[in-house]
Amino acid sequence: MTGARQMVVTLFIVAVTCAVILSFVYAFTEPRIAETQAQLTLSGLEEVISAHKYVEVIPDTLWQAMDSLDQEIGIVFRVFPQGYGGPIPITVGLNNEGTVTGIRIASAAEGLSETPGLGAKITEPAFTGQFKEKCAAEVALEQDGGTIQAITAATISSRAVSEGVKKGIEKYAEYLESTFDKNSIFPGANNFVEIITDTLWYALMNSDTIGIVFFGVAQGYLDCIKFMVGYSRDERITGVAILYSQETEGIGEVIRDEEFLGKFKDGMPEAISGATISTRALIDGVTSGIHKYGEYAK
Amino acid sequence: MTRLNIFTRGLVKENAVFVLMIGLCPALATSSTVRDGFGMGLAATFVLVFSNLIISILRKNIPNEVRIPIFILVISTFVTIIDYTMQAFQPDLYRALGVFVPLIVVNCMILGRAEAYASKSSVIDSILDGLGTGLGFTLALTVMGTIREILGNGTFLGMTVFGESFKNSPVIFMIMSPGAFLVIGILKALINKYVKKELR
Repeated sequence: MTGARQMVVTLFIVAVTCAVILSFVYAFTEPRIAETQAQLTLSGLEEVISAHKYVEVIPDTLWQAMDSLDQEIGIVFRVFPQGYGGPIPITVGLNNEGTVTGIRIASAAEGLSETPGLGAKITEPAFTGQFKEKCAAEVALEQDGGTIQAITAATISSRAVSEGVKKGIEKYAEYLESTFDKNSIFPGANNFVEIITDTLWYALMNSDTIGIVFFGVAQGYLDCIKFMVGYSRDERITGVAILYSQETEGIGEVIRDEEFLGKFKDGMPEAISGATISTRALIDGVTSGIHKYGEYAK
Repeated sequence: MTRLNIFTRGLVKENAVFVLMIGLCPALATSSTVRDGFGMGLAATFVLVFSNLIISILRKNIPNEVRIPIFILVISTFVTIIDYTMQAFQPDLYRALGVFVPLIVVNCMILGRAEAYASKSSVIDSILDGLGTGLGFTLALTVMGTIREILGNGTFLGMTVFGESFKNSPVIFMIMSPGAFLVIGILKALINKYVKKELR
């Protein structure tokens, strides 16, 4: 063999051998790596909210916590606010009421780069424990009008954590299961079974279907109106509730009045003059919802 | 030179960190605790022994012009093996060592032994040389890690020493970067004064 050819051949053989060996090592360790990774994630989630299982909604960022009956009991999310030495990895658990069930901050070994002995004290229970049972409004340092006591000489890290947690709650609160009491618009039912996620439920009494509850959205005068309707098997409206509306104060907001909402129980009400657009929007929304889902009630 | 000499030479007399002053970057960066230093040392030793072994076996077949790419290929293969294995079985250590595991590839100590020793010596001598140099590196990192962890964190392998009051306010800078330079400087000075003289 000439010098040049020998060079190429040797290099080629060595490279191919290395590649083959590595592919075996990879095949052997890959499942184990995935398993350790999953276990680490799970134990991190369990630390902030204990649940039967966790359903990943946004990979590595947001999970729904479920109880053993598959009912959502809260969420877990991760945020990475900028601290003193770098991003701070925080895992936060929230229950359905939007209250913090616990937070966990990664240790230095897991990628926290706050100053050891100072900023790194944010990982200690003395600090993280303060977040338990707080709602978004309370999550702020004492000097910023909140209830969290900052760590002495580590205000930047402390503030980064409290602001990160607060922003996270505001960002992900929409994923919380609505704690709306469906019985308020469908008295008499003792169980509700979801048929279409977050949209349609069967109202059950002792396992007999006695009607439906559905969620609807209508375009109001200023913003959308989100509402829930109870509709019984004998084609009567059992109740209407407004979940969200931003209509004109004192005019369009009449749609929230018990007096107006009560009229739905005796058949469709008339639109109220002066607030025609808002009331008409709700009436039309309820009517079209009944058209759409009425079949399910029978 | 006897076989025993080949092995012990790397431990103290030609210690990579304190005497030859090579492989300093990982020595400074991963010696903040005993566990990190020891783990990094063992990982480097594994790579060093096996790359020395393979390079020694292949030494007569490696064309001189492409020897460096071949050394790097062999070394990086073992580094990747270590990387995957550690990730699978020692995830905490893996995260603590972070970027320094892949960087073993360019640790000049390993390429240095391949070039200066394994490519010219018999298989057994090369293994002994790798083992000696690697354990010398491990020893250096463990000693540094011990000093820095005890003074800077009040613990040894995670166990509290000197009681809780010291642990709550230790000499923090010892586990930060300045502590690494200070410790390596003092150790180097002590070795120059007491050990090197005897070896001459």
